[in-house]
Amino acid sequence: MLTIRNLSKTYPNGVQALKSVTLDIPNGMFGLLGPNGAGKSSLMRTLATLQEADSGEAQLDEIDVLRDKDAVRRVLGYLPQDFGVYPKVSALDLLDHFAALKGYVHKRERKEVVDGLLQQVNLWNVRKLKLGGFSGGMRQRFGIAQALIGSPRLVIVDEPTAGLDPEERNRFLNLLAEIGENVVVILSTHIVEDVTDLCPRMAIINQGEVLLTGEPLEAIRSLEGRVWRKVVSKDELPAVQARLTVLSTRLVGGRPVVHALAESQPESGFERVEPGLEDVYFGQLTRHRAAIAA
Amino acid sequence: MFSEFLKFDLRFQVRAPLLWIGIAVFALSAFVATSSDAVQIGGSIGNVNRNAPLVILQFLNSFTILGLFISGAFVGGTLLRDFEMGTSELFFSKPIGARAYLLGRFSAGVIVSVLIYLGVALAMMLGAAMPWIDPARLGPFQLSPFVFGLCVFVLPNLIFTSALIMLFAATMRSMLGVYLAIMAFLVLSGVAGSYARDLDNLWAAALTDPFGARALGLTTRYWTAEDRNTLLPELAGYILANRALWLSLSAALIVTTLSVFKAQRAGTSARKPWFGKRAGVMPVEAAPTTTRTPRLTAAPAASGFAPAFRQYLKQTRFDTVHVLLSVPFLVMVAFGLLNLVFSLDATGPMYDTPLHPVTAQMLEAIQGSYTWLLMFVVMFYGGELIWRERSARLDGVTDAFPVPNWVPLAAKATALVAVVAIFMLVGALWCMGYQFLKGHHALEPLLYLKGLSLAAAPFILVGWLAIVFQVLCNQKFVGYLATIGILVSWMVLGTLDFDHNLVAFAQAPATPYSDMNGYGHFLVGWGWFQGYWTLFTLCALLVAAAFWVRGTPEPLRTRAEVAKLRLAGRPGALLASGVVATLAVGAWILYNTTMLNPYRASDTALDLQAGYEKTWRPTEGLVQPRIIATDNTVQIYPEQRRVTIDGKYRMKNKSPQAIGELHVYLDPDFKDATFSVPGASLKQHDEVNGMRVYAFTTPLAPAAEFDFGFHIDLPTTGFSNAGNPGRVHYNGTFFDNLGYFPHFGYQRGIEIEDRNERRERGLGDPRRMPKLETAPRTETYLSDDSDWIDFKSTVCTAPSQIALAPGYLQREWTENGRRCFRYEMDAPILGFFAYLSADWEVKKDRWNDVAIEIYYDRKHPYNVDRMIEATKKSLDYFTANFGPYQHRQFRILEFPGYARFAQAFPNTIPFSEAIGFIANVDDEEAVDYVFYVTAHELAHQWWAHQVMGADAQGSTLMSETMAQYSALMVMEQEYGPHRMRKFLKHELDSYLRGRGGEIIEELPLDHVESSQGYVHYRKGSLVMYRLKDEIGAEAINRALRNYIAKVKFQEPPYTVSTELVAELRAVAPADKQQLITDLFERISFYDNRAEEVSAKKLDNGKYEVTIAWQAAKKLSDGIGKESDLALADDIDIGIFARPKGGEEKDEKVLYLKKHRITAATGKLTLIVDELPYDAGIDPFNKLIDRVSGDNRKRVTVEG
Repeated sequence: MLTIRNLSKTYPNGVQALKSVTLDIPNGMFGLLGPNGAGKSSLMRTLATLQEADSGEAQLDEIDVLRDKDAVRRVLGYLPQDFGVYPKVSALDLLDHFAALKGYVHKRERKEVVDGLLQQVNLWNVRKLKLGGFSGGMRQRFGIAQALIGSPRLVIVDEPTAGLDPEERNRFLNLLAEIGENVVVILSTHIVEDVTDLCPRMAIINQGEVLLTGEPLEAIRSLEGRVWRKVVSKDELPAVQARLTVLSTRLVGGRPVVHALAESQPESGFERVEPGLEDVYFGQLTRHRAAIAA
Repeated sequence: MFSEFLKFDLRFQVRAPLLWIGIAVFALSAFVATSSDAVQIGGSIGNVNRNAPLVILQFLNSFTILGLFISGAFVGGTLLRDFEMGTSELFFSKPIGARAYLLGRFSAGVIVSVLIYLGVALAMMLGAAMPWIDPARLGPFQLSPFVFGLCVFVLPNLIFTSALIMLFAATMRSMLGVYLAIMAFLVLSGVAGSYARDLDNLWAAALTDPFGARALGLTTRYWTAEDRNTLLPELAGYILANRALWLSLSAALIVTTLSVFKAQRAGTSARKPWFGKRAGVMPVEAAPTTTRTPRLTAAPAASGFAPAFRQYLKQTRFDTVHVLLSVPFLVMVAFGLLNLVFSLDATGPMYDTPLHPVTAQMLEAIQGSYTWLLMFVVMFYGGELIWRERSARLDGVTDAFPVPNWVPLAAKATALVAVVAIFMLVGALWCMGYQFLKGHHALEPLLYLKGLSLAAAPFILVGWLAIVFQVLCNQKFVGYLATIGILVSWMVLGTLDFDHNLVAFAQAPATPYSDMNGYGHFLVGWGWFQGYWTLFTLCALLVAAAFWVRGTPEPLRTRAEVAKLRLAGRPGALLASGVVATLAVGAWILYNTTMLNPYRASDTALDLQAGYEKTWRPTEGLVQPRIIATDNTVQIYPEQRRVTIDGKYRMKNKSPQAIGELHVYLDPDFKDATFSVPGASLKQHDEVNGMRVYAFTTPLAPAAEFDFGFHIDLPTTGFSNAGNPGRVHYNGTFFDNLGYFPHFGYQRGIEIEDRNERRERGLGDPRRMPKLETAPRTETYLSDDSDWIDFKSTVCTAPSQIALAPGYLQREWTENGRRCFRYEMDAPILGFFAYLSADWEVKKDRWNDVAIEIYYDRKHPYNVDRMIEATKKSLDYFTANFGPYQHRQFRILEFPGYARFAQAFPNTIPFSEAIGFIANVDDEEAVDYVFYVTAHELAHQWWAHQVMGADAQGSTLMSETMAQYSALMVMEQEYGPHRMRKFLKHELDSYLRGRGGEIIEELPLDHVESSQGYVHYRKGSLVMYRLKDEIGAEAINRALRNYIAKVKFQEPPYTVSTELVAELRAVAPADKQQLITDLFERISFYDNRAEEVSAKKLDNGKYEVTIAWQAAKKLSDGIGKESDLALADDIDIGIFARPKGGEEKDEKVLYLKKHRITAATGKLTLIVDELPYDAGIDPFNKLIDRVSGDNRKRVTVEG
């Protein structure tokens, strides 16, 4: 169980990345959903001991996350967003090196760990190849392998599926799903499906603030019967957006499809649809924006 | 499109701080250097003005070396910025040509670099205009040298460096590439440097230097002060060729870059990358994922030091392998090796004669060829290693591992040690192979280990400090800049007259190695200093560990708070104790170097000299009694490096007046000294200046004698800052009475010689030798204490060593477990004697009744027989031609190579191990300077120890010039006239270069002053050889014999040069009197050259050769202003044949005869038997001609 209380961070340039963030993250997969620049990475990096917070508390079971960094690092598995590799080093060598850094200083022990992980993430056959030649998906799998060294109790994966093709994304999510229910896994993403597919609990975060936290299904249920859909023409769109609480607009076959939030059918042509997590997400963002604007 | 890039880049650079920082730094350095006295870039010494054109040129040129970094930043950096930030793809996806892109960036880089040099030029003008600059040292302001320098040197150099760096940056697309380019550049310069020492390779030297500095140096090497103050070099010859070569090379580089460069993403070209970190995406099929329960492995090892240490080992290996296997590292090692290969093959220090490859030489070569290269390597890799994770964007992963901060830091520091070690190892292996191939089979791997460990220490420390800077600055380029600051701090401290090694990072006293004395006593001082800097660096590393950046970089204030937290407890205690230890060692060093041993910054030492002069000069001329005999007991304790002297001088008042006071001088640093002056009491003791004044109770009557006794104890305590070798060693002690014994009266030798330093201290013009015409001739130029003295001495040393002094061994015995020797001289000698002690091998031989003994180190048997041979042949020639040898023995004694000279004491010649004992003169073409030096020093037994000139101008003509002549004659007999040419060529070169370095005024040979070695040695050789060529050795020797007979062992008044010249005139025919005037009494030059040489084959198979020449004779004044002299000289006209493909040494003389030349132009038609190769006027360069290369010309054959 990871509890975060009133975590705040302001960067030297004045950007307030975290505004008194409070979250309770139980064991199991936890989705952290938010647009680019929402503060997801700041939160993740803070939890991963890579960044100081200005104020607040974070507790992983008995560990004070913000102060006892070494203890956190011993139980942490972290896959940063957009990480690089040494292009001329083989997957095996680099993972072996990481295992040593993780604390497996005895060779035999380390070999067991490394071999196991390479098999687990399905890189065993390519373990001797240079990392520079890996595809994005392979690299991400290598990333999760290193994050899993030493059976971590807290696994943090930052935007892991960005840029992966659907097949690699599935493969990767499968890997994540295997990690188990007895550890805290925080998955930050801006892709709603990642959360829908994997996470029993989630939080939506924007501009450093937690907008919503809870179970995705419950959040979806709260919109039950209030989401309306209509295909409009491009000319109509601005007017519709002005009149109604529009959750999202997306193109389907080149024509704008509007999701709007309303207790009853807002206008003719709107039909009721089953709400999805995406509607929850966009709903939260829209409301937040309105709140800020006001 | 091009102009768009250019404009964009210029705008960008002008707005970026780097340009302005660069201008500020460069201009400030230039300003400081030109407005302060401490810095002498550009060679403004003596009569050369501070703003002399040549000084400006050399100054600007030496600043372009730094331009490498400028081009690296502005051209390399700009291109790399595009590659690294990924913006290159934005550019390349636009419809632009690679040409416009590259040329735009390139031109912008060059233009902003030029801006920096404009700043430098302005700062130089400003610096020279500062009110504190002595106006006497300034010439009128001229713009042209700046324009010339900027156009001919700065701009082409910038274009070249930029082109080189662009090529590497564009093809390798990494900072490493740029670094490689810089390395390549430095190596090229180094190679050129090693060539430049050889007189036969002048063109190669001039062309291979990419900066053109050497071309400039060679063009102006014979320039006098007047030339330097007024002339600009012509854009011709070496300079033109060099500039043309490197500009066309620059063009080639640019063209290459344009053709190789592909405007696309790195690594996507079909072409194989040269090398470097490129590899496209490899299609590797991953097997489908199988669902498997996750393997939950055991938790990793517990925390604590032991696992952390293993992590450190692992990280060290990881980083070390990364560095050592990286291509750039290997390339840099290769560069280092290349440099080493060249410096090993470079010719020896004297007359281009090589040395035997003894390990000491090899170590010197390794150090010499690595210095800058390795310094840059460690600085570079210091940055690379610290930024390795972050450059690969892997820091997010690695920083989150449970690793203490010290682990990566220590690992990277260790990897740097490995970098240095590999360089050293490669160098050592190469050198051992070289030694082995050269037949030097006694390899000394342990000596390599020791020597290279010593050499490695500063590199490691600099590398570590580079790491510290990178961590603290937390910005790669700022870190590099800070690191370069280390180099700057060395230079600045050096110029601020504050050269204590306690403040100059990683500096320690030198540790010269001598085969005789090993590392001697040098290691102690070195160890303390290096220990001090190591402790300092370790503390800095601890601080760096505290400031170690993990995760998101925080502002410095936050980092400082974090660092404070990290330092709490044990690390802080460790740091504190480290600081305490550093301070303690520093204090110990300070105690040793300032309390136990004197430390004087260079200006303090000069102040002290000035103080002596101001206090005591008024007493100059006070008549003092003179030494007539001496009997000393000298105890040498080599193992303690201690000497005690119990001396006795028999003194006599040789003057017609009574003497009231005895002024005794002894080096003021010799604290433990007592004197006994019977009948006198100590009236004054000036401890600062080392002067004691004794007043006689009753003045010393004329002709009265007394015994002056003294006891001096010279212990060695602790170590000193400079680590001057000193003269007393564990093995190889050598000191003389000039430095170690008391003297009487005012000591002129202490006066500052440098005119500018004198002026600053309110002293008048530097002392010159007394004028030839008016000198009192009461003293020799060597000593004012004595004339000819009786010499006896006892000298004791350690039982394993032999102790020596002039004289004949009377007795050898053991006393208190020490080995003692009694030496007595049977005839009076000059008051100039030495003591030596070492563990020598001795080789003995005889020549008639003269015992020849060579005392040498057992490692250096090479040239002992040659020395004996030279001794015998010299004795043959000198006794036959000059007169009898006054001694019955002749000894040569090897002393450690801390100094490179041989010196003639009566029948005793200390000879440095560095110049004669390891010279390799086996090569037929080599100048056998072992033979030459031996003959020269032996000749001094006549020319100094029999004939001694007065303290007057021209007196070294009778010592040094005559010793040169004597040696030349013996050498010519031994090796034949053709082998003399190489020697004389060197003498001519040294003479002409020496003129350029003259700081007072050049004088004719008969007025030469004792500091003008280039005149009395070098010009002396040329003059005497010419005279011999014109009037014959027999006539000269007759004159010399007469002269010696008249003046040998003379009491005052002493002889002067006019008497010798008169003897020469007496034997010369009437038509050679003018020649003697030109040679001895004037500074005269020839400017001869072959204009046109053609040949026509005649019907009888012979050739008709027509030679047209120009001839001129010039008179020069002391600073090089020339005027015309009338020609009436006998000059060789020669025609030569050469076998096909043959060299000069294979040539055959077809015609060689002296012709009387009286006109500025001449023409001659001659018939010769064979096809001529070349012909000319004064073809053997017997005349002093400033341009000696144009005397001959290739024959053009008509028909």
